[in-house]
Amino acid sequence: MDGSASAHARKARRLYLLIFLSRRLLQGAVVLLIVTFAIFTLLRVVPGDPARLIVGGMAPDEVVVQKAEELGLNDPIPVQFLKYLGEIARGDLGNSFVRAKSGSMGGAVAFDDPSRGDRAEVLDLIVERVPLTLQLAGLAVVFALIISFPLGVAAGLNPGSWKDKLAFFAGSVFVSVPNFWLGIVLALLFSVQLGILPSIGYKGFEYTILPAFVLAIEMAPFIIRTLSVSIAQVMQEEFISVAPLRGLMRSRIVGAHAIRNASIPLLNLFGIQLGSLLGGVLVIEFIFDYPGLGRLTINAVLQRDFPLIQGIAIFISGMFVFINIAVDLAASFIDPRLEY
Amino acid sequence: MSDTVTKNEPPRHVASTAAMLTPTQRMLREAWSKPSFKFGFFTFTVLLLGALIYPEISSIDPTKMNIKARHTPPLFVGDWSWAHPLGTDHLGRDLLVRCLVGLRYSVLIGCATVVMMFIVGCGLGLLSGFKGKFTDTIIMRITDAQLSIPMIILAIAILGVSRPTVPAIILVLGLSGWPLYARVARSVTLSEKSKEYIKGQRVLGASDWRIIFLFVAPAVLPPIAFVAVLDVARMMIFESILGFLGLGVQPPTPTFGNIIADGRKYLINAWWIATMPGLFLLFTLTSLNLMGSALEGARNNVLKGAA
Amino acid sequence: MDRRKFLESSAMAAAVAAIPMVNGSFFASPAFAGSDKPITFLSAENLTGNWNPTAHTALSQIIFEGFVFGYLTRAPMSPDNPDEIVFELATAMKLIDEHTLEFKLREGVKFHNGEPFTAKDVKATFEYASQPDHPAQWYPGQARVDVIDDHTAHVKTKEFGYPASLFWFLSAFLPIMSAKDIADGKALTERPNGTGAFKFVKQDGNTTVLEANKDFFAGAPKVPGVNFSFSGDATTRMLSLLSGEADIIERLEAEQVDTIKSKSGFRLNQAVSVENKYLWFRCSKPPFNDWRLRRAVSHAIDRDVILEVLGASGTPSNAWISPVKFGYVDTPNYPKYDPELCQKFLAEAGFPGGKGLPKLEYLTSVGFYPKTKEYGEVITAMLQEQGFDVEFSAMEVAAWGDRLYDRPGGGPGHMIDCGWATGSPEPDLVLRTHFHSSSKRICGIEDPELDAVLDKERNATDPAERKRVIQEELMPMLAEKTPSLSLFTSVFIHAMREGLQGMFIYPNGMLDATKATNA
Repeated sequence: MDGSASAHARKARRLYLLIFLSRRLLQGAVVLLIVTFAIFTLLRVVPGDPARLIVGGMAPDEVVVQKAEELGLNDPIPVQFLKYLGEIARGDLGNSFVRAKSGSMGGAVAFDDPSRGDRAEVLDLIVERVPLTLQLAGLAVVFALIISFPLGVAAGLNPGSWKDKLAFFAGSVFVSVPNFWLGIVLALLFSVQLGILPSIGYKGFEYTILPAFVLAIEMAPFIIRTLSVSIAQVMQEEFISVAPLRGLMRSRIVGAHAIRNASIPLLNLFGIQLGSLLGGVLVIEFIFDYPGLGRLTINAVLQRDFPLIQGIAIFISGMFVFINIAVDLAASFIDPRLEY
Repeated sequence: MSDTVTKNEPPRHVASTAAMLTPTQRMLREAWSKPSFKFGFFTFTVLLLGALIYPEISSIDPTKMNIKARHTPPLFVGDWSWAHPLGTDHLGRDLLVRCLVGLRYSVLIGCATVVMMFIVGCGLGLLSGFKGKFTDTIIMRITDAQLSIPMIILAIAILGVSRPTVPAIILVLGLSGWPLYARVARSVTLSEKSKEYIKGQRVLGASDWRIIFLFVAPAVLPPIAFVAVLDVARMMIFESILGFLGLGVQPPTPTFGNIIADGRKYLINAWWIATMPGLFLLFTLTSLNLMGSALEGARNNVLKGAA
Repeated sequence: MDRRKFLESSAMAAAVAAIPMVNGSFFASPAFAGSDKPITFLSAENLTGNWNPTAHTALSQIIFEGFVFGYLTRAPMSPDNPDEIVFELATAMKLIDEHTLEFKLREGVKFHNGEPFTAKDVKATFEYASQPDHPAQWYPGQARVDVIDDHTAHVKTKEFGYPASLFWFLSAFLPIMSAKDIADGKALTERPNGTGAFKFVKQDGNTTVLEANKDFFAGAPKVPGVNFSFSGDATTRMLSLLSGEADIIERLEAEQVDTIKSKSGFRLNQAVSVENKYLWFRCSKPPFNDWRLRRAVSHAIDRDVILEVLGASGTPSNAWISPVKFGYVDTPNYPKYDPELCQKFLAEAGFPGGKGLPKLEYLTSVGFYPKTKEYGEVITAMLQEQGFDVEFSAMEVAAWGDRLYDRPGGGPGHMIDCGWATGSPEPDLVLRTHFHSSSKRICGIEDPELDAVLDKERNATDPAERKRVIQEELMPMLAEKTPSLSLFTSVFIHAMREGLQGMFIYPNGMLDATKATNA
């Protein structure tokens, strides 16, 4: 292949990537719009009066009506939605009903109490918590890989052996254990009885270890399975069985070829599993009182803090769309044969 | 096909063109031969029967409080009693009956949800694959949008703002899972659509609906079957998570999530309250997962022509 | 176990020996700067975000104010000496005539912002906080204060028609604010500024950071500061204490008491409190605007069962105030568990056997008071047994706090669970605040007969006569009309690390850390 042809190939590939990216981003934007509208409408048609929640418990009814008018809650839903979109475009996701600017929870004051106007901005609250959740998720992935790799690779290399059966058994048990139950039991065991790991709140990196471990147990079975299946498949393919003739050591064969090819399904798996992972993060953060996005969400629900619920839902859906695009992109980099 | 052919089972390594069994039936038979499937099946059946029968014949009411008998430990621990084999909770309610009633709700919600996802998802997938073009694009975009909303967010948005009822829970859980069914149904439909025998049916004048129901739909079943079984397990876990967060079926109705949430406070003093429902869930889910994995293995074998 | 035996057996009650009405020594700590750590206290209820003491009635914030603000007097309310008064910002109290109470004030006290404390601040506080439009209605009526000199103030109540002696016990419960802050409206809301032993530094998420006030009149506290943190779940609080992340927690339940007792390195403090837990009826809207229905519910509830659920966290109460308060009596006609009577009242109200009753919403909080969800379920079951259709909702404490108060047309729900703890033996802090139509914070009742009796006992100049009116007229009338049902008196249980010594805990949960050390 001479220079001009490969340069041409590179240019074609770059153009192709651009088209791919812009098409997916556009699709993602449409999807996000649908999602935002769905959540927005949901929170307005279900029982519960947002105006009442803003003005608080002690307000007379005329004040509630007045506030509703002020907030534009009596406009038709499409109109409200467009206004909301406008606010989002400006980066304003609204203000929490419950939390004050300092981050503490307010409540139980009169309706015309000045502190009511001083509630925290939803975007600030979210952005504050995201790094901690990312830290938790990242550590969990690391743990999950550490647990799954030995089991999955051994199973894939020796299908039908006791290693395979062990991996299958471990996977089945891990997937059948309710994560919140495991979290509670481990918190009791490691924190109270044995005292080696902290389990409440966050005052340093070691507070992430126990929650990440519980999450890792939840992720592990899928990784084990995917790894063992795809490694077994790849090992059967011809080019692998040919390779020993080239005098390569078996480990190099496994490392270089098999795992790299098996990582595509893993990446896809990650994209698919994201939904239930998120549910896991929510519950685990709640149990361990870990101050991340998950616990913020649960508290928002328990306190009926609508703007916060809405903001988080939109934020997370946006992240989902983004991650799915990124996963597809990464997969196409790893294996140029894949077409989108 | 003469009788002699059907009476003699074709050898297992031979492609099954001679057999009268449909792919689904072959898959089921193959799965049944695995010990893991049998084990899972029996365990699940025993648990289900227990859940249906025991609370009826037992005189104990799951919501009956008996403060004097609270925190009775389970069998062989502390000062246990036969009246409460698994112990009692903090208000003196019998744990065995509560767990079994909770199992009823779990299985009910799990199965109802999967049925709903199956019908809606496969229906939309079949339609999408068969009609193609505009219908296909719209349905696929909706699928993408649905996949972008994590179940937990949906659950929170719907159940968190009003009082959760069983139909609402089924709806929320079902909404989270149908896209997968739609996708599988669609891809099966696409591949079947181009096959010769379908074209033959069209030539014969069969209507679209007839083709869909008689020919395409049965082909969708094998790949979906094991997913459905595994999904029942998945939905049961989701239901217990919702219950744990307080977004599930409301007290005093016992559900696994409720009982574990209540029991969390007493883990140090009365560990059995939180542990028993967890064990029930563990056994039920393991049996379902074993069945599902066996089905998946069976399906793979059927596809490879080994059965 | 009867009340007296219980009071005798509660721990640490004897830690405060009977102190005659003497200045200061109660607060003085020998000058000794130690290397102690700040005290981390986990509160079971959230703060409101508005630092103005008149804008709320949240117990958590009242406990918080105990650290930051100063009071004219303090009332330790120990069981062997419940009427004792200790002077803090005042040095002497004298009833000059029926409508004038004289306070002599301590010299050399400064607010945290440097302003000196004088009689002007007492005047500003009393006249501002006694206005009838504040959410916190602690004052018996409006008050006028005359500044005689910088350190002498006369509280005058003649123009408002009630005896000044009511302030005798009340003075222990009213935080003194700075006149300058009151004049500048926003200052009160934005930052707590008092004369107490600890100064407000900042709000960090759910933790309020306080540091020791070096210029505190009785000597700087030994601990460098207090971290006042909200943690809304009982299990989390206990785990935090056990793992060493908190120094002292409140609101323990019976099982947690057993757990703490089994571990070394921790201490418990159990004391009968001034708090009663009530089932409040929304009396201003149907169906509970009919007293017969309220009586029906009251007779459907077996309080003995509820006490069993509570275990160590509750003690029986047969009046609408705690046994530690002035005027308590075992009311003879207090509603007892009586299903027949319940059915009789139901029938009289027009709902025989519960038929025709609308669905009744019963609200309670979780994570704050012990066992609210548990006994809430018990009450729901008892009511359902009698034919009531009850929908029980247990909600997180901030959401509950927002639904608690009465509003025009009646507050949310039909029955709501709430406790009321006020740090003084003064009974009107409960009775008038809730049952007089000028205030009716939660139940919304407006009953002229109740108003008349409440006014009568408030205006009684002789304490013995006042006691008689409360015990023989007010309590029985409340038993007839039951605007709320007092379920039990709370026993406050605190747990703390062994290294934390010298904390004094008032019967309303307020903490005094002026003499505490935290190793």
